[in-house]
Amino acid sequence: MTPACKEIRRKILHTSRASGHGHIPTSFSVVEMLSAVYDTMRHDPAKPGWEERDIFILSKGHASLGFYCVLSQYGYIPDEELKTFGAFQSRLGCHPDRLKVPGVEASTGSLGHGIAIGVGMALAFKLQGSSRKVYTLIGDGESNEGSVWEALMVATHLQLDNLTVLYDNNRSQERSLPIPNPRERLAAFGCEAVQVNGHDLSALKKTLALKQTNVKAVVCDTVKGFPCPTLAKNVFEWHRKSPDEHQFKQLIGELDAQTV
Amino acid sequence: MRKQFKDTATDLAAKDDKLVVILGDISHFLFRDFQEKYPQRFFNMGICEGTLVSVAAGLSAQGFHPFVHTIAPFITERSLEQIKVDLGYNQFSANILSTGASFDYAWDGATHHCYTDLAILRLIPGMEVLQPGSRKELDTLLRSQYNNGKPTYFRLSDNGHTLDVPVSFGKGNILKDRGAAVTVMTAGPILGNVMEACADLDVNIVYFTTIKPIDKELIARFKHTRILVIHDAFGLYEAICEVPNISVSYHGLPDRYSVCYGTVHDMRRLIGLDPASIKKLVGDVQGKHVLQR
Repeated sequence: MTPACKEIRRKILHTSRASGHGHIPTSFSVVEMLSAVYDTMRHDPAKPGWEERDIFILSKGHASLGFYCVLSQYGYIPDEELKTFGAFQSRLGCHPDRLKVPGVEASTGSLGHGIAIGVGMALAFKLQGSSRKVYTLIGDGESNEGSVWEALMVATHLQLDNLTVLYDNNRSQERSLPIPNPRERLAAFGCEAVQVNGHDLSALKKTLALKQTNVKAVVCDTVKGFPCPTLAKNVFEWHRKSPDEHQFKQLIGELDAQTV
Repeated sequence: MRKQFKDTATDLAAKDDKLVVILGDISHFLFRDFQEKYPQRFFNMGICEGTLVSVAAGLSAQGFHPFVHTIAPFITERSLEQIKVDLGYNQFSANILSTGASFDYAWDGATHHCYTDLAILRLIPGMEVLQPGSRKELDTLLRSQYNNGKPTYFRLSDNGHTLDVPVSFGKGNILKDRGAAVTVMTAGPILGNVMEACADLDVNIVYFTTIKPIDKELIARFKHTRILVIHDAFGLYEAICEVPNISVSYHGLPDRYSVCYGTVHDMRRLIGLDPASIKKLVGDVQGKHVLQR
C-alpha cells in the first residue's frame, strides 16, 4: 500500500467517525482503483470544468465516502469539509451529486446508471473527434443489474475504445447473487477484459495504460475493508456502520500496522 | 406524426450539428434518409430503452441534443428511473419522442397500451411534457423546445386530429368560448372527437398541447364554469386540478385494463371516447349543471 492510499483510508475512517455514516468496506476496496484513475487521466483540480479533461464516473455511488476522500487527496475539495459527510447542508451526500461537488461528473446512487451515462459521454467524445476518455467504476453487486450489461452491449457494439470500465470484484454478493467469472462475462460482452489485483496500484496503472481497440474492462480483485482484518472478516456487519471510539482506534491501529 | 418528426428532425439537423437521433429499433426505415445524410448522428441503438435514456444523458452532458425515439410504454414506464435520475436529477436535457401511446397500438394488446406516460413524467421535477395533436403542432413545438436545456417529452400519435390550431409552448387554446356554464378541456389527438361531439352543444372548449407546464392562467379564467376534462390518458386532469378553486371532473380511462384489440377507434368506443359517447356525456353534464343552477 502506498503512503497516499494509506492516507486516503485514514481520511475515510476519520470521516466516518466524525459524521456517523459508513460504507467503509466498499470505500476501502476502491482506494487503489480510484487512485490509479486519478493518476492516469487528464484532469486539473484547479479547473474541474476544464474542457479537455477526461471523465470519471463512480457508478457504484455508495462508495462516495472513498470517492470524496480521493477527491480531497487530489485537491478537489478541502479536507476539513469531509467531516460534513451526510449532514443536512453538506455538499457531500452519501451518494455523490454532480451539481454540488467539483470533480463529480454524474450524480449516481441508483445502481446500473452511471456506466450508461459514461457510454453516452464516450460516444459524445467520438462524435466530437476528441481524444478525451471516460473511466467508470462499477461494483460486482451493481452488476446484478441488467442495465450494466445493456450498457456494455451498446458500448462494445459502438467500439468505444475511449471507455474503461473498472469492475470492483470485492465479492459483495456472496450472500445473494454472486458473479463467479466476471472477466469471462465481460469478454463475452465484447470487452477487452483483463484481471488484476485491485490493491496493486502499480499494476492498475499499467493496465490503464494499455492500448485498447474497444471497451476496456478491468476486473479488479479486491477485498472489502482491505487491509483491516476487522472489516474484512465482518463485511456485512460493517456495510454501513460508523465506528465508535473504541472501534475507530482499533481500525486506525490495524491500518497503521500495514507497511507502506 | 412520426413522418413529421423525421422531417422536422432532418431539417433541424441541417442547421444544428449537435442534434443526434437515437432509435430503439423503431422507425428506422422511416429515418433512412436522415441516416444517409447524417450517418454519424444516427444510432439505431437497440431494444434497451433504459440505456437509450442514460446514453442520451451522457450525450447531453457533452453538449448534444439527443432525440430518443421508441414505443411509448417502454421508453416512459420501463425507463422511468433513468428519466428521473439520469435526466431529471442530473439536469441533463434530452428529448424523448414516443409513438403508440394510449391505444394507437390497440391491436397489440395491453402490454402496448400506454396511458400513464403524461401523468408520471409530469411529476419529474424540471421536465416538460408535451402532447401535440397534429403534425403541424408537433413541428411547431419540436422546433420551439428541442434545445430548451430541459428533459422534454413529446407524445407522438399516428392518429392526429385534422384541425388547424395555432399552438405555442406553455399556452392553451380557447377553441370555443360561448360564455357557457360548462367548459370541456382536452389535449392531443382526441380533440377531433371532442370537437365533433360538441359541435352543437352550448359549451366552451379549451385545448392543451403542453401538459407541463400547464397554462394555469387560462384554466383560472374558466373557474366560474363546470370544467369537464375529456382525455384518453392520465395527466391532463391531474395538472388542471392544481389550479385552486375550480370544479372539475374527468371522463376518460376506466380503472381497468382494456383487454380488447382492434383499432384506436374501437378502443375509444369501448371507453366512451367516440364522438357519440362524448356528445351524450357532455350533454348530460350540461343538462344537470343547468338544472342545478
